[in-house]
Amino acid sequence: MTGTDWGFASDLDDVSGQIAIVGVGDADHSKASGRTTYEIAGQAAERALADAGLTARDVDGLMYVPFSGDQMDAKAFHAHFGTSHDLWTSDRGGGMVWAGSAPYDAALAIRSGKAKYVLNTFSVAWATQRPQMVGGPGHVHAEDLYKQNLEVPFGWFPQPVYFANMATRHMHEYGTTSEQLGAIAVACRRHANLTPGAVMKDKLLTLEQYLASPLVADPFRKEDCCLISDGGAAYVMTSLERARDLKQPIIAVLGVGVGNAKSGVYWSQQGDFTATPQQFAAPRSFAMAGVKPDDVDVLACYDPFTIVSLMQIEDMGFCAKGDGGKFVSGDTLHFDSGKLPYNTHGGMLSHAYVLGIAHVTEIVRQLRGEAAAQVNNAAIGVYGGYTGPQASTLVLGRR
Amino acid sequence: MHAAFPLPDVDWPPTRELFAGAARGELRVTRCNLCATLVWYPSTPCRTCGAERQEWVTVSGRGTLFSWSVVRFPWIPQFKSIVPFVTGLVALEEDPRVRLVSRIVDCPIDDLRCDMPLEVDFRPLRFDGVDGEVVVPLFRPERR
Repeated sequence: MTGTDWGFASDLDDVSGQIAIVGVGDADHSKASGRTTYEIAGQAAERALADAGLTARDVDGLMYVPFSGDQMDAKAFHAHFGTSHDLWTSDRGGGMVWAGSAPYDAALAIRSGKAKYVLNTFSVAWATQRPQMVGGPGHVHAEDLYKQNLEVPFGWFPQPVYFANMATRHMHEYGTTSEQLGAIAVACRRHANLTPGAVMKDKLLTLEQYLASPLVADPFRKEDCCLISDGGAAYVMTSLERARDLKQPIIAVLGVGVGNAKSGVYWSQQGDFTATPQQFAAPRSFAMAGVKPDDVDVLACYDPFTIVSLMQIEDMGFCAKGDGGKFVSGDTLHFDSGKLPYNTHGGMLSHAYVLGIAHVTEIVRQLRGEAAAQVNNAAIGVYGGYTGPQASTLVLGRR
Repeated sequence: MHAAFPLPDVDWPPTRELFAGAARGELRVTRCNLCATLVWYPSTPCRTCGAERQEWVTVSGRGTLFSWSVVRFPWIPQFKSIVPFVTGLVALEEDPRVRLVSRIVDCPIDDLRCDMPLEVDFRPLRFDGVDGEVVVPLFRPERR
């Protein structure tokens, strides 16, 4: 079943041009490091505030995601910085889909006077925690009773298997090939090779090497799957007026959209199995921003697997549905020669699996002109967030 | 006491009848009381009308292979003794929007194709190192 009855867009107020991202910071990204999520978030927050020219005392709004129970909430913020002032807080922040939608909630808080400077952080220590299977991407899924009884016993678990099934169906419906999935992995690896701090900075990957790599869950090879990392990032938002008094070039929030799948976390029942809720998120965000896909200079999407990149690129309208395989082949996604520079830091496949938050900091750096794999004169940048049940599209622009 | 992870809990109310039916050799799914659309997963709102009350019905056990993957890497230790295996989605003949997660058996990997006809085969599911077994609906290529 295709069509558009399997999901819907959230109704959002117009917040275009009201706030800006004025500071970005990445924590050190690594394999298992022994660090805690609090240490990682603290480092990212310190760097974001230094980048903005602000202090912890200036922060009066804090966003995080509650799902893992170990994110930088008010208590952790004050413990890290030795502060005690009042904070507006929101648990609609963090990474994944919220790395793209947090600016919407921040804009509402800022324009209503609840906060002036809002910090959004996200961090993971899943590489460190992996041996104990504490946390980690499969953990929350293994605890869902429907999945425990209707999916896991049949080996439909964890995430690589869900998305390998999507890739199989996408190949069947649209003729997508392994070479085309490989082109995504190769482009992301090349960008990571150019990016200081990328976990895979020193590991090269050619299409031939990709194709020679063994299958782990057909049609996926390990190179189709994201890393497991320790790391995180943070960004600071404020009103456009206050942004003018700060030290960084103004990177304005131009559009936000959120799309939803009615099937929630049960991908097996998703009405359009080979699509993402970007179909609902992206048109709204682009309309709010007053831009078209052709206007986008640099794109970063939440990319747990190559096929999720490909589907989002289609669903956001960068090519027709089903043409994604042909579209991404060759050098389309490369930062220097491609039509659509994509995940220019290497994404979750090759930079670090920090669930999208570093995609947003990368887009901001691209629009400032200070990225490692810098796209020439990037003025409009887009982040595509994804959790499965939801997708978000965040349009940012240089002012 | 129910069988251990990753075996299903045959006593969990929302899916109990699926496994009870499998033990009797019947493929059971839920149907919306209001609009008669098949609803899957059980006890989730009907995708057609939103109603939440359902009854269990027996279906033919025929369907098509909507999608699949050959799992070669054991993502959890309990899968070590069964890799490589084929896991996928079976679209039911009665309403292909209902996709059962299952394993595909008795089919060479090279013969797997999306949309190929399948039929149910009830078999006991076991994992090395895990006590117990549960009869579940697996699927094999349709025998003509």
